[in-house]
Amino acid sequence: MVQFFEKVTRTMNKYAMLFSFLFISSAMFAQITGKVVDADNGEPLIGASVIIAGTSTGTVTDLDGSFSINAKSGDILEISYTGYTAKTVTVGAETNLSISLSQGVTIDEIIVTGYAVESKRQTTGAVSTVPAKQMAAIPSGNVEQQLQGRVAGVTVLTNGQPGTTSQIRVRGFGAFGGNAPLYIVDGVPTENTDFINPDDIETVTVLKDAASASIYGARAANGVVVYTTKSGSRKAKKMEVTYSGLTGFTDPNVKGSPKMLDPQQMADWTHVAYRNNAAANGTAVAYTHPQYGNQATPRIPTYLHANGANGVVGNVDLAAIEAAYKANPSNVFLIKPNLEGTNWYDAITRIAPIQRHSLGFSGGTENGRYFIGLGAQNQSGILLENEFKRYSFRANSEWDLLPWLTMGENLQVTYRAVLGQQGDAGGIGIADDESEVLSAYRMPTILPVFDEFGSYASTKAAGFNNPRNPVRRLVLNNGDDGGFNTAAFGNIYFLIKPVKNLTIKSSLGGNYNNNYYKNYNYIYLGDSEPEASNTFSEGGGYGFSWVLTNTATYKAQLGSHGITALAGIEALNTGAGRFFNGSGINPFSTDLNFVNLATVQSPQVNSGLYNGVNFYSIFGKLDYNFKEKYYVTGVLRRDGSSRFGANSRFGVFPAVSAAWRVTSEDFLKDISWLRDLKIRGGWGEMGNSNNVDPSNQFFLYRSDRGSTFYPINGQSSGVDEGFASSRIGNPDAKWETSETLNIGFDVSLFDNKLEIILDWWKKTTRDLLFTVPLPGVAGNYAASPAINVGSMLNRGIDFQIINRGNLGSKLTYELTLNNAFLHNEITKLADGIPYFDGGSYRGIAPIRNQPGYGLSEFFGYKMIGYFNSKAEADASKQPGAGVGRFKYEDVNGDGSITPADRTFIGSPIPKFTGGANFNVGYKNLHAEIYLYTSIGNKIFNQSKWFTDFFGSFEGSAKGIRALESWTPALGNEAKAPIWESASNISTNGAANSWYVEDGSFLRIQRLAMYYDFDSSLLKRLKLSRLSLGVSANNIWTLTKYTGLDPMVGGGADTNFGIDVGNYPVTPAYMLNFTIGF
Amino acid sequence: MIMAMVMLLVVSCKDSFLEVAPTGSLADAQLATKAGVEGVLIGAYAALNGVFGNRLEGPNHWVTGSICGGEANKGTDPGDYSSINPMQRYETDPTQGDLSAFWRGRYEGVSRCNTVLRLLAQAKDVSAADAARIAGEARLLRGHFYFDLKKHYNSIPYFDEKTPASEVPKIPNTPNVWDKIEADFQFAFTNLPETQGQAGRVNKWAAAAYMGKAKLYQKKYAEAKTWFDNVIANGKTTNGKKYQLLDDYTQIFNAEFDNHAEAVMDVESSMNTGNVANANYFDDLNYPYNTGLDGPGNCCGFFQPSFDLANTFRTKNGLPLLDGSYNNDANALKHDYGVESSAPFTPDAGPVDPRLDHSIGRRGIPYLDWIAHPGKAWIRAQPYAGPYSPKKYVYYKSQENKLTDGSSWTRGYATMNYTIIRFADVLLMAAEAEIEAGSLAKARELVNQVRARAANKAHWVKKADGTPAANYVISLYPESAFSSKAAANDIVRMERKLELSGEGHRFFDLVRWGIAEPVLNAYLKNEAKILVTKFGGAKFTAGKNEYYPIPQREIDLQGTVLKQNPGY
Repeated sequence: MVQFFEKVTRTMNKYAMLFSFLFISSAMFAQITGKVVDADNGEPLIGASVIIAGTSTGTVTDLDGSFSINAKSGDILEISYTGYTAKTVTVGAETNLSISLSQGVTIDEIIVTGYAVESKRQTTGAVSTVPAKQMAAIPSGNVEQQLQGRVAGVTVLTNGQPGTTSQIRVRGFGAFGGNAPLYIVDGVPTENTDFINPDDIETVTVLKDAASASIYGARAANGVVVYTTKSGSRKAKKMEVTYSGLTGFTDPNVKGSPKMLDPQQMADWTHVAYRNNAAANGTAVAYTHPQYGNQATPRIPTYLHANGANGVVGNVDLAAIEAAYKANPSNVFLIKPNLEGTNWYDAITRIAPIQRHSLGFSGGTENGRYFIGLGAQNQSGILLENEFKRYSFRANSEWDLLPWLTMGENLQVTYRAVLGQQGDAGGIGIADDESEVLSAYRMPTILPVFDEFGSYASTKAAGFNNPRNPVRRLVLNNGDDGGFNTAAFGNIYFLIKPVKNLTIKSSLGGNYNNNYYKNYNYIYLGDSEPEASNTFSEGGGYGFSWVLTNTATYKAQLGSHGITALAGIEALNTGAGRFFNGSGINPFSTDLNFVNLATVQSPQVNSGLYNGVNFYSIFGKLDYNFKEKYYVTGVLRRDGSSRFGANSRFGVFPAVSAAWRVTSEDFLKDISWLRDLKIRGGWGEMGNSNNVDPSNQFFLYRSDRGSTFYPINGQSSGVDEGFASSRIGNPDAKWETSETLNIGFDVSLFDNKLEIILDWWKKTTRDLLFTVPLPGVAGNYAASPAINVGSMLNRGIDFQIINRGNLGSKLTYELTLNNAFLHNEITKLADGIPYFDGGSYRGIAPIRNQPGYGLSEFFGYKMIGYFNSKAEADASKQPGAGVGRFKYEDVNGDGSITPADRTFIGSPIPKFTGGANFNVGYKNLHAEIYLYTSIGNKIFNQSKWFTDFFGSFEGSAKGIRALESWTPALGNEAKAPIWESASNISTNGAANSWYVEDGSFLRIQRLAMYYDFDSSLLKRLKLSRLSLGVSANNIWTLTKYTGLDPMVGGGADTNFGIDVGNYPVTPAYMLNFTIGF
Repeated sequence: MIMAMVMLLVVSCKDSFLEVAPTGSLADAQLATKAGVEGVLIGAYAALNGVFGNRLEGPNHWVTGSICGGEANKGTDPGDYSSINPMQRYETDPTQGDLSAFWRGRYEGVSRCNTVLRLLAQAKDVSAADAARIAGEARLLRGHFYFDLKKHYNSIPYFDEKTPASEVPKIPNTPNVWDKIEADFQFAFTNLPETQGQAGRVNKWAAAAYMGKAKLYQKKYAEAKTWFDNVIANGKTTNGKKYQLLDDYTQIFNAEFDNHAEAVMDVESSMNTGNVANANYFDDLNYPYNTGLDGPGNCCGFFQPSFDLANTFRTKNGLPLLDGSYNNDANALKHDYGVESSAPFTPDAGPVDPRLDHSIGRRGIPYLDWIAHPGKAWIRAQPYAGPYSPKKYVYYKSQENKLTDGSSWTRGYATMNYTIIRFADVLLMAAEAEIEAGSLAKARELVNQVRARAANKAHWVKKADGTPAANYVISLYPESAFSSKAAANDIVRMERKLELSGEGHRFFDLVRWGIAEPVLNAYLKNEAKILVTKFGGAKFTAGKNEYYPIPQREIDLQGTVLKQNPGY
């Protein structure tokens, strides 16, 4: 910290010096005002962009179409508006401009790249923008989820937890990890945007290819998502206040949950299994279930459990049991069967309310402008005790201190709390975790939620194996938990215009966050594997990152030659901080006012610190165009990072691109239906180092209590510290480099009724950093280093189609399609590493990464049916072969089934993703439908391991596929193997293609209607806007997938598409209200 | 101009700016000191517990030694920890992940010992005496890790601290590593002191006992005898107790008596250490199931003594049934298979060795100081793995939270030391050496020494009224029983099974005696009489299953360097 402040102070001193220096050479700025109107009808265009070319200075027009901007003579103003042809105006003597735009080239949106603002008309790269409105349309905890389907080429895998992280992948998966894009918020790079209130967003720009993103060099390989937040207006006007509110609820969609066997079916099929076991083993049938009795027809007992006795038929001595309960309430249970059957999914979920309120204040004077945003979002998850809260305060302001000097800042302070979240990596890991959602499918329907005394009922009732009552787990173990993160994010910047055409910007940004959590779990003895201690843990930490960016932009028009040159330097630290936490058991009292780390038994403490990674970069960009007909852009960036050793610390990332506006050629002038055609091409290189530990270059030793300590004194309490080699260093590791090629065109036809943007792209990542597994002889404790091996290929086509028009005079419509095809392939791994496997789930290891195949593909036996007769099973050389069990393909044709017969059985990566947005407007009434689709991805439905085999935790709940498990009559039509206890590779003991399901789906993400009240009414009420709407989200999904939800993410890039117990995305219904004055 | 100035400023401090120190760790220079080397040596001891996340790596070899040796069946149900299923059926394939983890864990131990020796050579502030001791401890531990690898995989890569790291993956595997293992034990014996202030350290006599064991595995009986004779005559523990059998058999497995006179080499275990890996984490799944507060642990019954083992404790005239007839219907122990806990059951009334109820939890017999074992209610699935629970290395009710670590997900991580070599083991190994290279009479004396302790009525399992919990009948072998080498061998082997059951030695004993195939196939046949689903069709294949496969992962990673064991 001290060091940092010194650095800041140094920087400040430096600026003070520079400023005095600059007083000498100042140009005169003047207040330019103007009005932007529709060329056809003179209606004001509200929200049109006005920017000073080559700078990030800009504004938008207000309700009257008016704007005000500080510019000086010779500045070029770029005026643009969606759906209209942009215009440029050179500032001269006139300070009040009247500008009319005609409907036309619509590909002319503002692109904010963080270092510069440019119009889409000029770009030579693959860039997408998302209307800010769309980012706010569907309330989610993390705004980046809303990129799903909104940008062609961005894959978003997420889940239904409010505030969850998601897998956001721009143009495929470039590496074996660390594939998240770089986010830039108001010029400050960050890896996390969960703090943003969507209502504060002004623009969203996604930089997809090297031509557009390589200005971010070493961190740009996974694409860059640039957010800018709102700012005030550049002229004196009264403060404008906007309130947007939203309230509604999420429905857990109990009807859509997988069906489980009811109590009678479960009993019947337990006995079916006993008969099948006996048949398989050639023994007499033994009915041995502690609840269903020893006779052939299962019976349902009167009590499942009565103080130690199980499967009691008839009466029990209630008085005695009650007395026992009173004497020892935590250990005495009286459980009656729930004959109707408990729907455990219903029991752990609820109708979950949501509300969000945003208040925006914006305004300005001639010399300053501001935006103040207040936001509050309270959202409950459908799972009990799952809560999300975010309160944010944003203050953006900018002040013209001197004619040549502007100072501004963006600052957001955020309180954010996510409680009861499950899944690692911030929630996205829930799909492949054994979550409480899975627990709901492991608890037999015959067990009630509560026993006769009102205690939670569970598997202390014998015969149901080891599931734990998930209602109890959620309510008791999450109910008292707490935690929050407070953060400040923002920057302060200076804009200096020392001479004509030159703008210098210096920005110091940072992100400080502080977090705390507490976690209480309570004794519960009603499970077969009880939780026998009260436990408590708490902890906290802080982190701080900063970035200092200096850029100089020169922009000039010399006759037909347009030139923009940008040069910059940047230094940053990705975040340094400390944390501590502790835990302990069995405090004397569980009174919340008593429990802390000092009052628990066996307290354990842990703490740590991290220094972050430092980057130092210089970069430059040159744009040239000739008569706005031919465009050429070159980018060069050199980055140095402390992640790498001195040998290969620096990386240089170049990009070149060009575009040809064909419609500017004379020979196309007469083709009236072709309004605009631009052909673009670009090549470049970008870097990535996310998948590398900051200590990768070092050889280190460490002590840790779990693996290097030993009670050398022979003591029975306490332990002595020891050390072991903990990291093998690789000083030679260098950047992953992805080389991209992009060819595309933007075309606008029929008076802009039809627009198409299409990009073909190819991204080859080489020197892929990968933590090569060390051979076992090297031990297993020291982390092996990431080394540059392997390469990956991604290629695809992104295209956006927009069709808009009128049907009659009052009815307008707009259809937007965002589509992307993706192909992903690992092309090389290290010598001597033919493949590497992913994680294992209950002995099922379904993932292999191997050259020639996609990232994280599913791997296992290919199931070609079942053994339909004893003869067939006996003749087989498949281990564990038996009647009704899986029959695997002999892939290598050697006559027997061995691990060598495993093969690739599906990829979790969608081949095609798309979003379709259709708007219809009739007078003031608007309707919108938004669909999202993912096609060609497979899901490994690991939850079937729990629900579809009698032998997986025998006695725990099973699904209705049991009813269609193998019988001689069903043969290969059976949905699951024969109902029996056996467990081997022919049953539930191996990954195979039976688990693999088509994960394609089409979903109505949003269906909305809203009404904008008439401007005449608004004027009377002195309002600027009044709008009321309703929406329904996720109300319909078309899929063949049999699990809860086809959108299955995962904790890591080498591990996803595995559904163990996903948190589904379910329908939500919302009321929206916006008022402005 | 301005840019240039700003650039200058930043560039000037650029080099140091891009040097960011790693956190929370140490570098070579900090550890090449006496204090550092001592710390790294403790790190090597830590590897004894197999603390790398896989319970199969525990030092007690509960799967590879006991379950695969037929002493116990993998419990709970088929789908749970299913990777053990093929192992207990001798259908392990080289892709088995647990065995790969075991391989890596033991080589981690080797690697830590090598690091000690390497840093020791660099450290300038270590006295000659300390250097000898430190090297001795490290080399005894290294010998132990290699011994473990050798008995599991037979053919293994061997390297020491002088082998450069880059060369290690190029070393092929070979069965010829005994010389090197012996060299470590010899060095340790020569350089280690007898006693030290810290009871957790290995000493000279542990090295001697391990050397004897190594000789025995190579069938070098005369040499083995010399080493064992020395240990028996002169051996003492690191804390200075002369080696002897404890009076009370149960104290061997009781944390209150840790570092006792019978512990020749053990793994220290402790609570309140900040991590249950320092306690017996590898056993946490092995306690009886669904016991509530009436029994230890919470989970899960993975380690269930076999019918075969239980029946072995049947005695006739106080002696075991050496002809294997203990599994006959007439002799087999009465059990509660298929009997509900609510239904009445009377335990077997016939004569049994008292060690039965020290080793196996069975219906109706007091389960340590918990309740009497209730039978089926404590077993996850009797049809899967039978009616028995483990009893050795289980903590007592009175010790809960006093000698157990409850800070992880189950409430009781026991803290008794697991004993790698105990004195009774030494006596019985010495008896084997005597049979082949000494006198049968001496062998009988050694065996009877072990039996006499078991016969001490004072320490039998008792009912509440103080009477023995079962019909315990045990006597010493008469001279006539040791009539021939063959007869004597049968007796010693039987005694090892009875005395050391559930302690992870059985599989390796059977293999070194060359009788794994008949014994284990008989065991499979016996268990399959009831546990059909589990064992039906299973078979031990001679020439293959004596050793575990070299993990496929290692073969893949080391290219053509490693050769797979026969049959896999």
